[in-house]
Amino acid sequence: MSFWTQLQRIDRRYLYVAVAIVVLAPLVARSGRHPTVVFDEVERAFATIESVPPGKIVIVSTVWGPGTIAENGPQTEAIVRHLFRNRIPFLMISWDQEGAIWTYKIAERVQKECGREYGVDWAHSGYRPPPIFVVASGMAEDFQKVVGHDRFGKKLSELPSMRNVRNHKQVGAVVEITPSATVTSWMAYFTMPKRIPLVYCPTAVMATEAYPFLDSGQLAGMLNGVIGAAQYEKLLGMDDVRTDAAATSLALSYAHVFIILLIVLGNAGYLINRRRQTNGRS
Amino acid sequence: MGFLSRLFEPKHGLALLWMILAALVVGGIVIAALCALPSRYRKWVVVGVTFVAGLFYSIEFLIPRENYLTARKPLVADLSIVIGSFAVLIGITNLFQIHWKSLSRMKQGMWYNGLAFFVSFFAILTTGFLKDSVSGSNGEVFAGAFDILFTGFLTSLNAATFSLVAFYIVSAAYRSFRIRSAESALLMIAAAIVMLALVPVGALLTDWLPKTGFFSIFRIERMGYWILTSPNMAAQRAMALGIAVGSLAMGLRIWLSLEKGSFFDRQL
Repeated sequence: MSFWTQLQRIDRRYLYVAVAIVVLAPLVARSGRHPTVVFDEVERAFATIESVPPGKIVIVSTVWGPGTIAENGPQTEAIVRHLFRNRIPFLMISWDQEGAIWTYKIAERVQKECGREYGVDWAHSGYRPPPIFVVASGMAEDFQKVVGHDRFGKKLSELPSMRNVRNHKQVGAVVEITPSATVTSWMAYFTMPKRIPLVYCPTAVMATEAYPFLDSGQLAGMLNGVIGAAQYEKLLGMDDVRTDAAATSLALSYAHVFIILLIVLGNAGYLINRRRQTNGRS
Repeated sequence: MGFLSRLFEPKHGLALLWMILAALVVGGIVIAALCALPSRYRKWVVVGVTFVAGLFYSIEFLIPRENYLTARKPLVADLSIVIGSFAVLIGITNLFQIHWKSLSRMKQGMWYNGLAFFVSFFAILTTGFLKDSVSGSNGEVFAGAFDILFTGFLTSLNAATFSLVAFYIVSAAYRSFRIRSAESALLMIAAAIVMLALVPVGALLTDWLPKTGFFSIFRIERMGYWILTSPNMAAQRAMALGIAVGSLAMGLRIWLSLEKGSFFDRQL
């Protein structure tokens, strides 16, 4: 059996070990290197948060759970850090039971790093059952009634960061961090009718669907998976800081190159074998 | 409206307990009444509720500017949260029924799944309640136990299950993705450019090319971005339009209860 034929029949367990090493090595090394290129949609997302008018809040809607924490976690961290730095009050809403705990943990950690305070600078609503469009639509009309209280059961009207929010007029932007196609709920029932900018943070696999909405202006900006989060951190001036986003984007780099190499190698073996078979027959 | 507004206000302490019990009793009575109805009447109840629920947003949207229904949106939001919460309860009931059946009958190859479900369900439920209600050092013990169950088990298992996809993708890419036609070659080249364009290593490959001028269009991030924002966007728009038209037709069929299928024909 020739080398190329053997290569075609390689045991898949070797591939599993190889991909585990390729992904794990950069995560263990934890480099602080961030991407050199920043996409236009990431710059637009950054500019959207920068331009939130004083006195308005940002709604950070999170639909993700632990399954996509590798991508949505760094996105959440980057956005929250920017909001804390600019002292823009925000309300975090979670539409996933497990995600509700994770998003709170991430914001709490960044809050300590930035020297901010829960209630004064931000609030977390805890888990809210979907459908998102009904809740978002209600929030636009009567924010205090629909959201009501935070994850600790405290009335939002008693929190300094939220007490002045009555309806959509006090909302400066919405950020949707999600692995699913939930962004259209915000678009149709909140951000488009009320003319509020919407920043979309999907997993990379969902990002391709968003480009028509970016082009039409229905999305103000986007963080394309964890790479988008790393690019956003670069804009935040965290070029050499060892973050989850930087480490994960490097692991993703190696994984992408590894997959492409495997496809090329697999096809080279396939084509060489096919040529040999054709030559043998003739 | 006043009564309904007061009903949906957050409750605390004993009032919260009473409200939960009352909601369960009322919900149970409604579900039992629905189950007791002969299927031909039940169908009309569901058809009526579906129609009225769909009508609300249609009319609110079609009447220009803010109208009588716009002010009722928060109430509809409250109602939807309540219905969503009942769906969770129904889901739990369903899980209990399935796993209890396999456990009580000691089904071969199944009973241990049922046992694992009940142990993990009650473990995280108990620690979750106790960590918030017990204070002092005991509360810290329960918080620690909850953290082990949640972060150590649940989150890790959830993330691990999702990450298995990476291994299957690599195996499939190597063993199955073969260039057998011009279309598959085109797909592979486009996929490779986009994959490389999205990661930092990709940008380094063509870093030697100028950042401006004619030759800059051959930089991998520029090529990848062009694929995403031109051919991809055109295809996505076409698909979105098709899906939207299909969704509208599907939505109308569900709203008017014209949809045929096992649920609509037999269950009702």
